[in-house]
Amino acid sequence: MTDFIQNCIDGVMIGSGYALLAIGFTVVFGVLRRLNLAYGPSIMLGAFVGALLYIQFQAQLFTVAIATVIVATLTGMYVERLCFWAIRRGAALASMVSSFAIWMQLEEMAVIILPERTYPFPALTDLAPIHIGPYFLRSEHLTMFVVAVLLVIVVHTVLYRTRFGLAVRAVSENPDAARYMGINIDAVMFWAFAMVSAIGGIAGFLILATDQQVTPYFGLWATFKGLIAMMLGGMGSLPGAILGGLILGIVETQSLWYLGNDYRDLSAYFLLFLVLIIRPGGIFGHALSERERAALRRV
Amino acid sequence: MMDEYVVSVISNMGMISFLALSAYMLLLTGEISFGQQAYFAISAYLSAMATAMWGWPLWAGLLLGAAAAAFAAGLIGVLTLRLRGLYFSIATLAFAEMVRLLFVNFHYQVMIDGEPVGPDGAEGFRDIRWIFEHNVSAFEYMAIILAVLTVVVTLFFIAERSRLGSIFRMLGEDPLLTELQGLNVIRYKVLASCLSGFIAGIGGAFYAHFATYLEPQIFNVMLGVHGLVYGLIGGLGTALGPLIGVALDIGFLEAVRAIQGYRMIVFGGLVAVLLIFMPRGILDEERVHWLRMTWRRWRNAAR
Repeated sequence: MTDFIQNCIDGVMIGSGYALLAIGFTVVFGVLRRLNLAYGPSIMLGAFVGALLYIQFQAQLFTVAIATVIVATLTGMYVERLCFWAIRRGAALASMVSSFAIWMQLEEMAVIILPERTYPFPALTDLAPIHIGPYFLRSEHLTMFVVAVLLVIVVHTVLYRTRFGLAVRAVSENPDAARYMGINIDAVMFWAFAMVSAIGGIAGFLILATDQQVTPYFGLWATFKGLIAMMLGGMGSLPGAILGGLILGIVETQSLWYLGNDYRDLSAYFLLFLVLIIRPGGIFGHALSERERAALRRV
Repeated sequence: MMDEYVVSVISNMGMISFLALSAYMLLLTGEISFGQQAYFAISAYLSAMATAMWGWPLWAGLLLGAAAAAFAAGLIGVLTLRLRGLYFSIATLAFAEMVRLLFVNFHYQVMIDGEPVGPDGAEGFRDIRWIFEHNVSAFEYMAIILAVLTVVVTLFFIAERSRLGSIFRMLGEDPLLTELQGLNVIRYKVLASCLSGFIAGIGGAFYAHFATYLEPQIFNVMLGVHGLVYGLIGGLGTALGPLIGVALDIGFLEAVRAIQGYRMIVFGGLVAVLLIFMPRGILDEERVHWLRMTWRRWRNAAR
């Protein structure tokens, strides 16, 4: 039982990183109705620039964080202009494939910056683990979790308490209606994308600073962890993305502990597959409306 | 005789074309699959087991592998019937990663001539030696791959001009409308899934005997996404589209070795720009129609 609870604690901490990645996907998907495969690689490029500063100039943790977030955000803006803004609405498949092509581009850039397989990344904290009764908590995990919670509060405030957030939600709801209300859809999409890329940059920094290393596989890893967490919780919902991330974290740590390393990812994919087949809206997704259900029945 | 290197590049293009065609098949019916590499992998493993461990001839192993892939694809088709759009894509991704991770834990070996042969989990599956044992040269093997590819593409052409092709395209445009035509949507969706699995399976079986070595890591999501991308870049108007996509990527990348180290930067950018102007690929439906009309006019004028 102690092990189980300890795993849950670790899972929630790791899952908070997944949740941040999932928020990125959910917001972009809500606004654009398109999938950005280059999300993870944009973050990776930021992290590689951060790692370069760390290795070459012994940059401080804070400088590395700023560099990671800025480069990730700028890369995100580049992806938005090239793969989403320039390709007309309705061509969702072309946008996705285009973002994949840019993925290849970003990966090669990262490899040019730092050609080795792994690079060190500065540690988030060097504090000792915290003991609470029989359980203990790595201080990096706790830092990641706290920052993630703060970020979620910020994102929630932006989306529900500002005019920009109102515009984002209006565009998600119905782009045409939003346009008739005088909302500049292109600008909303661009800034939502930039915001999400910055969140991704912070998430990537936290995760990598916990692992203390960065590899070119991080792009693939971040894209698919974020996607899975989003789909588990339910597409297009903020609480869904957070819960999906936490559940993914817990399932991974539990199966790592009880089944072994070979079954960690297998269990996560198995759960995802089951959820999609049994409850396509995600565990916490909204129930389908009568009209949607009728359409699905016919098809 | 052709250069050994050229033969291996062309063989690679041929094998990956099967994967691209299978992704294209599903794109026609309006589904984006991230999981076609699973059928490629299932057939690669099964056909290699058949030839290397059970002593079957290549053609029998290939048929067995492709049939198993078609069966798996049919099963996934039935399970994912309710899913559309991104839900379908992620479900197929989850399935394909499950298949790959199961192969990581799959151990099944027999002793042949004092050597263990067979899949050994993450260590991979070595010594799939059928084409060496039967003295098939690299050139002959390439010719076999291209011959089968030609047959498959020809069948695609026939199918696209038939009722079945129209139904698949209609399904891609609007499943509800297809249903209103009195057609059994479920049956056609599952059929499309089975066919796409079979085509990917042919490629997988060829790949296993070409590479002589399989490891689960080869069949990761990158392989499937590449197949999907080839299907779109070439164009959704004709079955030649996926082949053009493959030729552009592999052919182009091999041709521009001069910019080694920067080629993905150049190529990735080119694809992104191409998609801005041609969001449904190079040979999309409109351009194919225009080409057909021009050809007909030219032929009539020549008469």
